[in-house]
Amino acid sequence: MPDMHQNSVETAKKTMILVVCVGNDLIADDALGFEVYKRLETEGLPGHVRLEFLGVGGLALLDLLTGNERVLMVVDAVQFGAAAGTVHCLPWDRIPSLGGSAISVHDIGLKETIEIGQALYPEKMPPSIILVGIEGRCFNRMREAMTPETEAAAEKALEFIRNLFRNN
Amino acid sequence: MNSKTITIDPVTRIEGHARVFLNIGDDGALTSAGLVVNELRGFERILVGMEADRMPLITARICGVCPAAHHLAASQALDSAAGVKAPPAAELLRELLCLGHLIHSHVLSIFVLEGPDLVFGLDSDPLESNVAGIVKANPELAKKALRCRTLGQKIGELVGGRGIHPVTSVAGGISMVFDHEKKQQIAAWILEINELVPELATAAKDLLLRLIDQHPSLMKDWVIPSWHFGTVKNGKTAMLNGSLRAVDDRGQVKTEFPTADYDRHLVEKVVDWSYMKEVRVVHGGTSNDYRVGPLARVNLSEGYGTEAADFELASLRKLGGNPCHAIVFQAYARVVELLYASERAFQIINDPDILGETRVPVTFKGGRGVGHVEAPRGTLIHDYEIDENGIVRSANLIVATQQNYVSINHTIEKAAASHVLGKSDDAMLLNAIEFGIRCYDPCLSCATHAMGAMPMEIVVKRGRDILRTIRRNG
Repeated sequence: MPDMHQNSVETAKKTMILVVCVGNDLIADDALGFEVYKRLETEGLPGHVRLEFLGVGGLALLDLLTGNERVLMVVDAVQFGAAAGTVHCLPWDRIPSLGGSAISVHDIGLKETIEIGQALYPEKMPPSIILVGIEGRCFNRMREAMTPETEAAAEKALEFIRNLFRNN
Repeated sequence: MNSKTITIDPVTRIEGHARVFLNIGDDGALTSAGLVVNELRGFERILVGMEADRMPLITARICGVCPAAHHLAASQALDSAAGVKAPPAAELLRELLCLGHLIHSHVLSIFVLEGPDLVFGLDSDPLESNVAGIVKANPELAKKALRCRTLGQKIGELVGGRGIHPVTSVAGGISMVFDHEKKQQIAAWILEINELVPELATAAKDLLLRLIDQHPSLMKDWVIPSWHFGTVKNGKTAMLNGSLRAVDDRGQVKTEFPTADYDRHLVEKVVDWSYMKEVRVVHGGTSNDYRVGPLARVNLSEGYGTEAADFELASLRKLGGNPCHAIVFQAYARVVELLYASERAFQIINDPDILGETRVPVTFKGGRGVGHVEAPRGTLIHDYEIDENGIVRSANLIVATQQNYVSINHTIEKAAASHVLGKSDDAMLLNAIEFGIRCYDPCLSCATHAMGAMPMEIVVKRGRDILRTIRRNG
């Protein structure tokens, strides 16, 4: 176990919030992450927030961490089996595990990526990692086929994200 | 009809995209097998009506897994439509972008996608043998592999101008000033890659050979002959430019042609059980199953033309034959290509031509443009019809997974015939079929990426009745 004092000193250096939106802006519900990214970029961000976009999730996520992040928030379309448009806000360790494999529609799952990060680069990992997963239904058609319930959920996800900015 | 169908369904990430079926007759023998791909349609349609100039940008957004490959194929197609040749510096930078992508992708494929098979073997519990598991099994090796992946990515970002979707390769060349500072930065990254790759290659090869020792059947039951197809330049296997070559299952060169002639040599066939069309090479009145990608490229020519890669290729051939049809050697072929990419990148960054002019002026007078590139998973062809106003009137994209489709289905048949039929072990059925598909590293819809222990569902059917369902749950 790491020394508690050491741990809190390390944590004190971590002041940033990193928001990573994931998705493919050409594909139906997969475009949700891009949609949220675009809206956040347009409305402007507090000074302690950094915003990034990734086409697919997976290990590229680890490249975005500088070691100064207190919170990592990943915004992505998910298929957890809930109704389309459901917004899941989950700490990473509560993301449902599906046979040791990925849970999002991209590449390696977030849960595995975080596990890899913690095994290899513990010093870079933010103490708080949250998935904002927006339940999608359609992933095999083009952007115009976005599920209306999923599209409408973008605002709900943004509300959660803005709240988190205010409280952190 | 009195037959039984076993369907394997990935149920989460790629839901709605893929399903494996096995049709078994009353005598217990396999009658047919295949991957049913509910292919994502519509990309080609959305390109129609757009300005041709936008193709490299928009097609790069098709796929989060291989944006650089689409970006490059599109700009090559525009060069051909405009009748221009990109200056030498642009060709070198494009090749560097391609190699950065290849390094990044191959490291992920070897150590992350195939890693669990290599490290834990084929009989391990998928819950234990996942990606995080291999990282924990050898953290130092994992760190080096991930560093190498990151370096490939960084080269792509610098040359491509942007992290996720590259933007610099355009009609007529590269729209970026490549100065000494950028050159120095990339040279430093390449040196680091040059140091990492030999060690990674040795580690991957050792794991593969151990796997084969443990499972000698991999070199017997999993040998699937086919023709091979890909890019050659000056007689050597290449990733960009050059011509397209097909070799037969005995390694004889059967045909070689410029990119624009692909539609005279490759024929698509619609099958009634999948959206994905089968593709075959037509030659001398016969149509021939073929594969693309690393295992095809190692069989295309005498070699890659760099020292370490060709040395390793000789060793691959000694162990796996020449031509090599052992599908587990896809991983070995990736090791050879990783060495090649590392060596070739070093040559490119030290080529004085790289600091020259990067772009020639382009106007579209209307006509057809065809371009291709070797994506990590195989040959990618973009074919556009462009009108006199520079607007795309039709588009056709031939992607690697489509070309491997026939071979993937043969592999599933083989897996089922030798590992599944007559045995009641569900885990074995899942493992064997997943492993077989994984060897091709298929990108099933250009939107999602089948990887790792794919969550699967097996539905056993007789006619339309579901007899039982098997799921692997976490």
